[in-house]
Parts: sequence; structure tokens; C-alpha cells
Amino acid sequence: MRRGTFWSWLWIALGVIYFFVPLVGSFTFSLHAKLGVLSFKAYSDVLQDPNFRINFFASVAWALSTIVIGVLLFVPTAYWVRLKLPRVRPLVEFITLLPFVVPAIVLVYGLVRTFSRPPLMIVNSPFLLIFGYTIMSMPYMYRAVDTGLRAVDVPVLTEAAQSLGAGWVTIMLRVVFPNIRVAVLSGSFLTFAIVMGEYTLAQWLAKPAFGPYMALVALTKAYEPSACAIISFALTWAAMGIMQFVGRGAPGGAQVAGAH
Amino acid sequence: MSTKKMVWAVMALAIVLAACAPAATAVAPIVQTVAPIVETVVVPATAGPAPTASPMDALVAACKQEGQVTIIAAPRDWADYGTIIDTFGSRYGVVVSDLNPAGTSADELNAIKANEGNKGPQAPDIMDVGYSYGPLGQSQGLYQPYKVAGWNDIAIKDPDGYWWEEYVGVMTFEVNTKIVKDVPQDWSDLLKPEYKGEVAISGDPKGSNQAIMAVWAAALANGGSLDNAQPGLDFWAKVNKAGNFVPVIGNLSTVTQGATPILMRWDYNALGDRDTAAGNPPIAVVVPKSATIEGPYVGAISAYAPHPNCAKLYEEFIMGDEGQTDFLRGYAHPARFASMVSRGVIAADVLSAIPSAAAYSVAVIPTLDQIAAANKVITTGWDKAVGANVK
Amino acid sequence: MTSSTATGRDAHGARSAPRRWSWAWLGVMPFFVFILFFLVYPSSTLVIGSFQDEAGHFTFANILGLSDPYILGAYEVSIRISVYSAVGGAIFGFLLAYAAVRGGLPSFVRSSMMTFCGVASNFAGIPLAFAFLATVGRMGIVTEVLSSIGLNPYDAGFSLYSVLGLSLVYMYFQFPLMVLIIAPAIDGLRQEWREAAENLGGSFLDYWRRVALPILTPSILGTTILLFGNAFGAYATAFVLTGGAISLVTLRIGDQLGGDVGNMSQGVGYAMALGMLVIMAISVAGYTILQRQSERWLK
Repeated sequence: MRRGTFWSWLWIALGVIYFFVPLVGSFTFSLHAKLGVLSFKAYSDVLQDPNFRINFFASVAWALSTIVIGVLLFVPTAYWVRLKLPRVRPLVEFITLLPFVVPAIVLVYGLVRTFSRPPLMIVNSPFLLIFGYTIMSMPYMYRAVDTGLRAVDVPVLTEAAQSLGAGWVTIMLRVVFPNIRVAVLSGSFLTFAIVMGEYTLAQWLAKPAFGPYMALVALTKAYEPSACAIISFALTWAAMGIMQFVGRGAPGGAQVAGAH
Repeated sequence: MSTKKMVWAVMALAIVLAACAPAATAVAPIVQTVAPIVETVVVPATAGPAPTASPMDALVAACKQEGQVTIIAAPRDWADYGTIIDTFGSRYGVVVSDLNPAGTSADELNAIKANEGNKGPQAPDIMDVGYSYGPLGQSQGLYQPYKVAGWNDIAIKDPDGYWWEEYVGVMTFEVNTKIVKDVPQDWSDLLKPEYKGEVAISGDPKGSNQAIMAVWAAALANGGSLDNAQPGLDFWAKVNKAGNFVPVIGNLSTVTQGATPILMRWDYNALGDRDTAAGNPPIAVVVPKSATIEGPYVGAISAYAPHPNCAKLYEEFIMGDEGQTDFLRGYAHPARFASMVSRGVIAADVLSAIPSAAAYSVAVIPTLDQIAAANKVITTGWDKAVGANVK
Repeated sequence: MTSSTATGRDAHGARSAPRRWSWAWLGVMPFFVFILFFLVYPSSTLVIGSFQDEAGHFTFANILGLSDPYILGAYEVSIRISVYSAVGGAIFGFLLAYAAVRGGLPSFVRSSMMTFCGVASNFAGIPLAFAFLATVGRMGIVTEVLSSIGLNPYDAGFSLYSVLGLSLVYMYFQFPLMVLIIAPAIDGLRQEWREAAENLGGSFLDYWRRVALPILTPSILGTTILLFGNAFGAYATAFVLTGGAISLVTLRIGDQLGGDVGNMSQGVGYAMALGMLVIMAISVAGYTILQRQSERWLK
């Protein structure tokens, strides 16, 4: 055990160095906004810009909505594929990886063309943006959920629950979800991060979002872009902390069955 | 909290948030001030100077009826677009939305095509594109013709009125003088060993107009001409071989940080950066002594514009004396510069703020055919000359 | 709809009655409908456009044009960077995840690691490129520190603007992705198995070879391919850092579809994207085969 924890600390330390040093680089640069002295001027400039707040919280709203839609769509699908339709799994996995190869600009161009005319004229609706984000987060959310399901003996659990008289909804909510809570949380984090940084969809669909805002700041400012990056990093980290806390669920997280 | 309750709570929260955020943008004018990419200005109409011609009055009235107009790819800090947009919006009581400020000319054309039937805020009304995109958009049927009041003063334009020059810039060096003590004055200086790893371009010459012009401008100083851009590629290959070229896409941040302390930029962008930096860091803008190139930007109105009258009024505004002077305040030479100077309508303080005309005398402007040819040479030859030598 | 599952057996040997079978497909209908409306149909321009020329007529020229060495070179570089960053990301990400989840460390390490990885997983593009420039760029703080003790990395030939340099930068979002996805799988390794293995006289290595790795391999493979796709489709970071000097397929597509230049050929761009799609399909096929092998190994 003791020998084990040494290695654990080593890997963690290496990880921390790799992750934090670039952030320190950005941070120290951003402190030079005022000539000759170290100051937080770049930060106050960013935080005082009303557009910062508006866009940041707009993206938070999109992100949370995307997570909800993603969970509602992908968890039952992944579960069902695992349980009933294993032969369609490669096809589904291929589909879930498609967003990687469809350039965002092609996707949004298609979305605008498809949905800016009757009968499906929803180009102005926020839901189009949310659905677009759901597609973009699909690889991550689906893979996270699928990995979580793999660690749980899905058929056995289902049969056991059914034999106890549970209906599908009960199975989903009280048997499946609690067991993949950590995986869903991982997928939610990934989705949140993607939506916060996304640029192309929000831009073309003319909706307020943080990605386009950051790109605009980077276009013509010297110190504000790195300050903005650090602030958004910190705020997003805090948001994830909150998500993790809320997602804690019942204490001692019910791990009803492990991998087989 | 049980899982079930938590799930319902999160769903409810998310739906409430989703309903609120878009409601903000749906209530168009008032709240659009808060929409970011859709940069807008909402100010009640003030009594500005009334245009004298009466067709203008009709246009103003029609535009007020439309109430809004959408411009695309026009960042506020580019040639002082911020002031222009604000002045236009407040003078005529129109909400101006700026779609995709960081977009390229191709994005603008694609936006028109994608939004053919759409009258919503995603559809652009007003174009501001690189020179080659005038005829390109016209050939694809994406523009509608319109001739502004000062039409005869404009040298570069489509005779039928589909597009016209708005302003022009000149390729310069933007230099961070805190890091670069000995400021390069000409193209040959860029080969000096003291500038190792310091010279960059603010785009990719395979796709960015500004970057292509940087390569072409170098050609002019190294035995090339408006008909022969190849020496430009050879020159940049030399800069790369000397270890002076850094492939990072430069902007004010990278100039400030020191990754790209010598950057090829349009003069209005470089001077704008200098003002934004305000001495932190100190920036020098140098027009290369031996030769450089001019790059005009042209305006047009979308064929499917949801607000054609406001679009026309906007073009009248920016092509009028006042709007053109605003461009000059942003350090971009307006299309009607010559006529305005000869009529003495430019304020002295504006004239004194721009670099001297003598420095600009080495700048030359290409024709469309020359641009097409040079684009081909540079975009296909760049990788062989400079890029792709990476392991 | 295939008929093979109508009378076949599912993975656990239970026979599916025909009535339940058609009902089963209903369960994934929402997914397929959603994908159709919001992914397949809008992206159909990608497939159609690959076979059209400038005037909109049918042509194979774009597809044949993919054999241009310039474009093939772009695919090669893209695949290389994706493989390097996927494998490197998978290995180190796994070590990090294992250390945080099962390494005997205090629980705050795990939860802060998870949330941090959440943020870092999408820290890409301009902010990431700039962060690395500010750190190991020519005027970066680490470079300056190293130079002051005489170890300037650039003198030794280090370059951030190379395949290896770019892979290093890509790790920033690859490690977190691996950590986040593999952590639940590691969670599933029960402590009792480790103890049981030790009780049966097995060493740490035996436990790994016989118990933990077989269980984890499918998940590790699946996540590695996710990392591959993630890197394959990325372009913003490479664009800012190298200005297109490193030829990636995504950058070449971007040139064709959205440049500033006026002589782009959208058909070629679409064809390149189609090529990416094919490569992804091949990767998934390869991974599925590997998957089946490893599951057989497990049984």
C-alpha cells in the first residue's frame, strides 16, 4: 500500500505540473496589462464588460440544457443497445463518432438550410442550437455512458428488477442511473466544457454564447484574451464542482453490481 | 436528495434557463444590446443632420420602418467600425446587429447562401469582403445592385453597381519595440539574424487574404511584380531558412507576449493595435521602404437581404463624406479619399493622425486578374516554400 | 432492418421472441430519428458535395483528387498526430485515473481531478495555443528559466511547431478525456478481486495480467478510439500555433470551405471530409474486431 501510494503521488504530481505550468504562463502574462506593474487590470476589464456576463451565462444555460437532452437520449439508447441489440452496437458507435469528422461549419450550414424554411422552421429557436450541441457532445456523452454501463451487469440487473416487478421507468431511474452516476457525471462535464467553448454553431445561429465572445476578444486585445481564458477556466471549474456536488446523490453511492 | 428528485430538479432548472436565455434574444431590439456575436446598438433616434436629396428621405423612412439591419464580419476595432455602426444606429434609430465579427469573406458568402429564405437575424444584409469576393459573389448571384451617391468618385467598382470599394489598406510591419530594439524598415531587414524566430504573418497564406498580400508585397520588393508573385514565396522561404520565420498566426496578444514581435498587418489594423496597446507594449508601424501592396475591401448588399432599405441607407452612410472620414479615423484610406481631399472636406486632425502620404507612395494596387493569378501561385506554392518541412 | 436478430440469440444466449424483437428496435428509434434530423440530413451536403463540381454537376474528380500527394500527406500527418496523442493520452490518462481512483489517495484528489479534467478536456484552440506559447514559446517563462541556466531548448532543436510539439499540446485535452471516461471503469474493479488474487498467491503483476487488464481492455480500447477521433477532428489549436505550416486534413478542409481567397473548391473540401469519414469507419471496424477479441479473452 505504501509503495502504491508513492507511485500514485508521482503520477498525480507529473499531471499537475503538465496541466498547471501552461496556465501559469498565461496567468503571469495577463498580469502585465498595466505598464510596469503587475495588476489585475485585464481581469477587471473583462469582468466589467457586460457582454462577458451575458455570454458566459447564456452558454451555461445551453450547456445544462444540452446535458439534459443528452442524458435523456443517450442513456436509454446505450442501455437498450447493450441489453437488446448488441449487433447494432458497431453501427451506433460509428454514428456516435461521426461528429468528429463532420466539420462544424458543414453541420451548421446544413442545420440553417434545413430548418430555415417551412415546414420545420426552427432556425430561430434556441432548441436548434441545443440539439446541435447535443450532436456535438454525442461522442463524449455516449462513450462515457457506455463505459459506465459496461462496468455493470446490465442483463442481470434488469432481470432481477423485472422479477421484482419493476417497470421500465423504475428500472431506468432506480437501477440503471444510480449505477452509472459517475459515468453520467463524466459525460456531463465533457458536454459542459464543449458547449462553453463552442464557436461555430452559436455564431451562425446568431445566439449569445461564450465561444464567439472569446474569439472576438482575442481578435483585437492584448492581455484580455488570456485573462478571459483564465477566468472562464476558473468559473467553469467552479460550475463543475457544483455539478459534482449536486450529482452526489445518496451517500455511499449504490454500486449494486460490479463488472463481470 | 433521491436520484429521481434530483433528475427532475435539474431538468426543470435547465428548461427554465433555456427558456429564459433565448427569450432574451427573442425580444429583439431592446435586449439585443446584450447579444454578443450579434453586437447591436439600441439608441432612440436622435435628430441628426437630414440628408438633402429627397430620394434619401424616402430611403430613411423605409429604413425606419424596417428598424434593423444585419452586418457581417465587421469587428468593432477594424477600421473603426465601432464608431461607424454606433453613429449609423443612433442617427437613424436602427438596430445594427453584427454577425460573426471574426468571420472571413468566405463565411460571408456562405451565410448568404445558407439563409436564402430566412428573414431572421442569421441572414446578413451588408457585405464587406476582400477584393476578389466582389466578382465572386456577383457571379454566384448573391448581391443586388445599388449605386451610392458618391458613385463617380469610386475608382474600383463593378460598372453595374453590384459591388464597390469601401476602403483600402497597405501592408505594413507591426513591431513590438519593447522586444525588438532595432526596428526593421524594409523587407531585406527581415533576413537579419537578430530577428531569429520573430517574424510572423497574421494568417495562413493558403486561406487568408491578409496573409497572401503579405507574401505578394514581399515579391514586389524582391524582383517580382504585380504579375509575378513567385519571388514572394522565395523570399519567405529565405526568411524561414534563416530561422526568422515563426508559423504562429499573429495577433495583438502574440505581438505583446513576444511570440510574434514582428507581424505583417494591414496598416489600419496595425495602427489600431498600436492605439489599443497604448504604449503597453509600445508598437511601431512601419511601411516598408522599397515596396508594398494595397488591398481594397469592397462592399455589397445581399440579394436576399431581409432589410434592403436599411442596407442601402447604411451604404449611403459609409460611402458618404462622414462615413468615409470615420474610416480614415480608423486609419483606413477611404475609397473616395482623392475626391474628399481635393474638396478639402477632411478635418486637419484626422489627416495629421495618419502616416504621411510620402510613405504610401511605394504602394501599388493590383487588378482583379492579377489577384486571381497571384492567389493561385501563393496558395499552391506556400507549403513547398515554407510549410510542411516539419517532422 | 435486418432479420438476423429475429431468430438469433442476443449476447447472453436468451432467445428473443419475434414480438419482443420488433419492440426492441422501437427503443432506439428516438435516437435514430434525432440523428437523422440533426446530423445525417444536415450533413448530407458533405456526401453530395463531394461528387459535385463548381457548377453542381456530378463528378468523380474530387474523389480522385484525393490521391494528390499533398492531400495524402495531410491525411498522414493528421493520422500520425492523432495516433501519438491518442496512445500517449490513453497511457498517461490511465495512470492518472488509476492513481486518483485506486491509488490510495485522499478523496479530494479524485474529485478535484475529475472536475479539473472536465474543464481541461475542452481547453483548446487559441487559449491553449497561447498558454503554451507563453510557457514554452521563444519568449515563454519556462524557456527563459531554462535559458538562464544555459539549457535553451530551442538551441537543442526543440520546436513547438512540429508534429511532436503539436502532439504535446494536444495531450492537454487528451489526458483529461481519458481520465474522465476510464475512471468509472476503474471504479468497477472491485477491491475484493485484488485481495482474492493475492490470497491465491498471485503477485501485483499477475493481478493485472489476469484480472484487471482483461476487464479494462474493452473500455481502454473504446476510449483510445475516442481520443483518436478527438484529435483527428481538431483543428483550432493547430491552426493558431502553426498557421497551417503543419498540414492537417481539417486545416485543408477549412481552407477549401471557408478561406478568404476566392479560388477555393468546396467539392474538394467535402471530398476530404468524406475521406475522414471513411477513415473513422475503418477505425471503428478495426476497434470492433479488437473488441470482440478481447471479450473472447475475457470469457
